Amino acid sequence: MAPDALPRLQAVLAELRRVPDILGATIARRDGILIAHALSRSLDPKKIAAMAAAIVGTSEMAAIEMGLGEFNQSIVDTHVGKMMATGAGDEAILVTMVRNEANMGLVLLSVERAVESIAEILRVAEQAAEVTT
Amino acid sequence: MMAGPRVTPPRAKTGIPVLDERLQGGFPRPSTLLLFSDKPTEKRLFGENFAIQGARSGEVSLYVDFFRAPQLARGELKRFGNVPTDKLVFVDAISAQLLLRSEEPYRIEDMNSLDDIRSSILTAIEAVRPARIVVDSMEFLIDRFPKEEVLKVWRELIDAAKAAGSVICFLFINWTLVERDLQTIRAMSDFVVEFQSSLRGGIVRNSMRISQMETDGVRTNWIPYAFKDLVGVTVYFPRILVTGPFNAGKSTVVRALSERAISIDRMGTTVAFDYGSVNVTGIEAEIFGTPGQERFEFIFKIFAREVSGVLLVVDATRPEDLDRGKQMLDLVGPKIPYVVLANKSDLPGALAPHEIARRMDLPDDVPVVPTVATEDKGVRDALLVLAEMIIGVR
Repeated sequence: MAPDALPRLQAVLAELRRVPDILGATIARRDGILIAHALSRSLDPKKIAAMAAAIVGTSEMAAIEMGLGEFNQSIVDTHVGKMMATGAGDEAILVTMVRNEANMGLVLLSVERAVESIAEILRVAEQAAEVTT
Repeated sequence: MMAGPRVTPPRAKTGIPVLDERLQGGFPRPSTLLLFSDKPTEKRLFGENFAIQGARSGEVSLYVDFFRAPQLARGELKRFGNVPTDKLVFVDAISAQLLLRSEEPYRIEDMNSLDDIRSSILTAIEAVRPARIVVDSMEFLIDRFPKEEVLKVWRELIDAAKAAGSVICFLFINWTLVERDLQTIRAMSDFVVEFQSSLRGGIVRNSMRISQMETDGVRTNWIPYAFKDLVGVTVYFPRILVTGPFNAGKSTVVRALSERAISIDRMGTTVAFDYGSVNVTGIEAEIFGTPGQERFEFIFKIFAREVSGVLLVVDATRPEDLDRGKQMLDLVGPKIPYVVLANKSDLPGALAPHEIARRMDLPDDVPVVPTVATEDKGVRDALLVLAEMIIGVR
């Protein structure tokens, strides 16, 4: 990876965490491997990455089966809050956890911005890697 | 603790048990290692790890660092955890350039003089008689001084290391030399450790390959490795897939292998996946268990990427499911090492491993390991067998 890609991804996650009521965020690859995370210590980011991949994969398949077009986001709604798994480019998923009190308009807007940045950072990193190989 | 002379063991351990096993206990003493890559990779990690493993086992390591002042290097090495500082001696190449006073007993005063560099390092080797020497790195010299002269110094350092009975590692990225010069350098070495890094989907993977220059010497496959905080370099398999037909015992295998596992199952069958992480004898691995039923095959496809190896679990009492087992291997793709686990081998009517191999028409080099996953039997052996296949050895 271009040496600055990981810090840039971390910066995107840090920015996201500044939004009120966002509890944590993780970037995973679509095959369930952890890329980067900003989570509290009690959570295992690798497990969350694997589960997010399963959720997104299953949701994508369900969307196709039901003729609902291209996958955008899965939301898991609980009595404490919500977990959103959002596609970020072809390779990555952004997992965002929020409290139920959150201003969802603001959260969704921030998530949308974050996935755009992540997709771009990974695209540039991948291109740089191709040039050097 | 008792001070006093101690006998230096004949082999220098890497601290990575699976590798040390391949090397019959470590790199022989004396010997010359070339840590080589043709672009920047994390081979310094291996050099540092090698020096630190030595220091930890009571050997003295000499680290020649052309890039970092010793204070800085010592700070960076803290990520390996506790290092006995008296066992790690630096040759300081930086302080004189920065006009700083150096507390280091060994230092190079004039970095513009190859002769000064040479004699400073030789003095340190003769005085310290280290068990291990790391020279970080040779491209620094090749970039600054005439090639022939650097090669001459290179040979002198090898001779000095031999006289001191040390294992000497040269880090080297080749920017400018042609193949013929590289041949010469390889021929001066006893072992070449090559390094490569790749990027896929935002994840960097590092791997290394060890070749002994001697004919019929050790030669490994590309071995994926990672750095673990406070420990050092470990062999790391980013994904071991546990798969097999319905009700063969895949989830139980994942649970038996991992310290903490999660399973997403309903009514006793896995509907999404199992996941666990393993840490045995210097191998770290992430284990992904797939569902067995055909209707969940799409889940299988999510996880069947970048697979290091496969544990194929079959129920030894159900010959009728063996075909499905073979079919699941095809889903993973060709050329991926796999081991067959003949599970439930304690039950009456269980087929013997060779019988399973015959019925599945397995190639001769595919091991079939009898297991009883519910009792933790054979499962770990199967993983180690798989690890050996991935690492490979001649």
